[in-house]
Amino acid sequence: MRLKRFLLRYYPPGIILEYEQSEQLKTKAIDLLDLRPEHDPAAVAQDLSMKEPLITKTRIPQVQKLVSKLQEKLVASEDHQFYLFKVLRAHILPLTNVAFNKSGSSFITGSYDRTCKVWDTASGEELLTLEGHRNVVYAIAFNNPYGDKVATGSFDKTCKLWNAQTGQCYFTYRGHIAEIVCLAFNPQSTVIATGSMDATAKLWDVQSGCELATLAGHSGEIISLAFNSRGDQILTGSFDHTVCLWDVHTGTQTTTLIGHRGEIANAQFNFDCSLIATASMDKSCKLWDVRTGQCVGTLRGHEDEVFDIGFNSTGQQIVSASADCTVRIYDAGTQRCVHVLEGHDGEVSKVCFNPRGHRVLSGSADKTARVWDTATGQCLQVLEGHTDEIFSCVFNYEGDTVLTGSKDNTCRIWR
Amino acid sequence: MGLLDLLRKLKSDQNKELRILLLGLDNAGKTTILKSLASEEVTNITPTQGFNVKSVNSSGFKLNVWDIGGQRRIRPYWRNYFENSDVLIYVIDSTDRKRMEETGLELEELLADEKLSGVPLLVFANKQDLLQAAPASEIAEGLNLQTLRGRTWQIQACSALKGEGVQDGLEWVMKTVASKSKSKKKK
Repeated sequence: MRLKRFLLRYYPPGIILEYEQSEQLKTKAIDLLDLRPEHDPAAVAQDLSMKEPLITKTRIPQVQKLVSKLQEKLVASEDHQFYLFKVLRAHILPLTNVAFNKSGSSFITGSYDRTCKVWDTASGEELLTLEGHRNVVYAIAFNNPYGDKVATGSFDKTCKLWNAQTGQCYFTYRGHIAEIVCLAFNPQSTVIATGSMDATAKLWDVQSGCELATLAGHSGEIISLAFNSRGDQILTGSFDHTVCLWDVHTGTQTTTLIGHRGEIANAQFNFDCSLIATASMDKSCKLWDVRTGQCVGTLRGHEDEVFDIGFNSTGQQIVSASADCTVRIYDAGTQRCVHVLEGHDGEVSKVCFNPRGHRVLSGSADKTARVWDTATGQCLQVLEGHTDEIFSCVFNYEGDTVLTGSKDNTCRIWR
Repeated sequence: MGLLDLLRKLKSDQNKELRILLLGLDNAGKTTILKSLASEEVTNITPTQGFNVKSVNSSGFKLNVWDIGGQRRIRPYWRNYFENSDVLIYVIDSTDRKRMEETGLELEELLADEKLSGVPLLVFANKQDLLQAAPASEIAEGLNLQTLRGRTWQIQACSALKGEGVQDGLEWVMKTVASKSKSKKKK
């Protein structure tokens, strides 16, 4: 084994080793999820060298520099104030979801007008209109980190795969018998998973356009779907009140997470794939051990249905959004609620951390999106301007641009 | 409401919920009827650029009423909402004689769609509070409602603004759905 080079991953912090083994180029990630700005980079590098044989003594100074660089990214710079950069009269009907590519250079919007559009973030120019679906385009995704393909899932029961540069439609995946409402690429970008109101999820081959597997077992609509970061497991959340874990290679169900007493709204893995967080209409969130499938905690506090949930990039915090107009931040370790974010005067339907994890973005029926400080729980900014409720909101990877998609048919870029 | 709630309303529990579609040309008064059904203020209503959804409780049922914008350029998207509809309510501006033919053609096209086949039809002859309003009987004739086959239908004169006739229409909807589900059970 011979080390070729190091690559940095900022969020969550990590060093990727590119090495040669029996003449094959391989990569291995060293996750530094607990890295803090105050840690001594020399000590961290020393420690890594002890654990990782690829990092020989001579490499330590180099690794130390990389660790310092990661730490710089974690230190608070001056506060970023978002301002409304552009209003895109994006669609002639309400938007559904919005998503950035990895670098944030372009983004996509889905709409009730049956199209998905590709946009240039810097200029706000429309680059492409992906036309062909016969009903609402609801679920959309870039194949990040590559970003050269876009997948769209529609109420017309099909999923389409597109070239993100030319707009050419590679494949139309047919097989679901009801609306497709969630989809995801695996991290390797070789498989697309779709979840449908027909209570099944399906796996499709990106290269050949063939169906690989049908994940059947839920008795209700599948509403959320997520790959783990290795790409070997998939998580489905359903209106049948359960969450299922599936083996991607065999297409078989490995675990069912039973415990919620209401429809599941969302289910997510943490970064190291050890925990699952679920949000439910039963007003609670739960944490589950991936290995055992056991519920290891219930996050209470919301007084109404919980619509969204997410981990920060290191998996140390969890954020949830509810019909009770609040957002809550929990510590994943202690399972305690650390902050209740109050201020919205409508249901909060979407919430997420920025990749660095020091900000939370929430979108609400009150027509505003809000930016919150995760350390203090204070609302830093109210992003006002939409004339109808906000359906979707996201940060780019750098955390310096926000997109909001609304029922008012517009998409707004804030930076 | 949020996207998730829209998905929940896509599939309604057949025993407790009804999916009602409110269609018609722009300025017919669909949103005013929706608000009137939900007992909300009917002032400051602007043209619907997309859709509005409201849930109304009536005789033990939860009615999920979808009011879809009627402007010409968004009419082709009405089909997005057809799936699983239990009742179609078609709203007509009784004073707009110029567009009577246009509204008739749109209705004809709706009724020809297989996703709406057999779905009970309620026509609201709206704006009856205005002097120049055509009477419901004249509108029924203009739309050739008598010639409809394989579908229960009713025309109801109303003024959504004054709140007159809207409840009568709703009662017809409830009665029709009840008898429909009874005949289903017999089968």
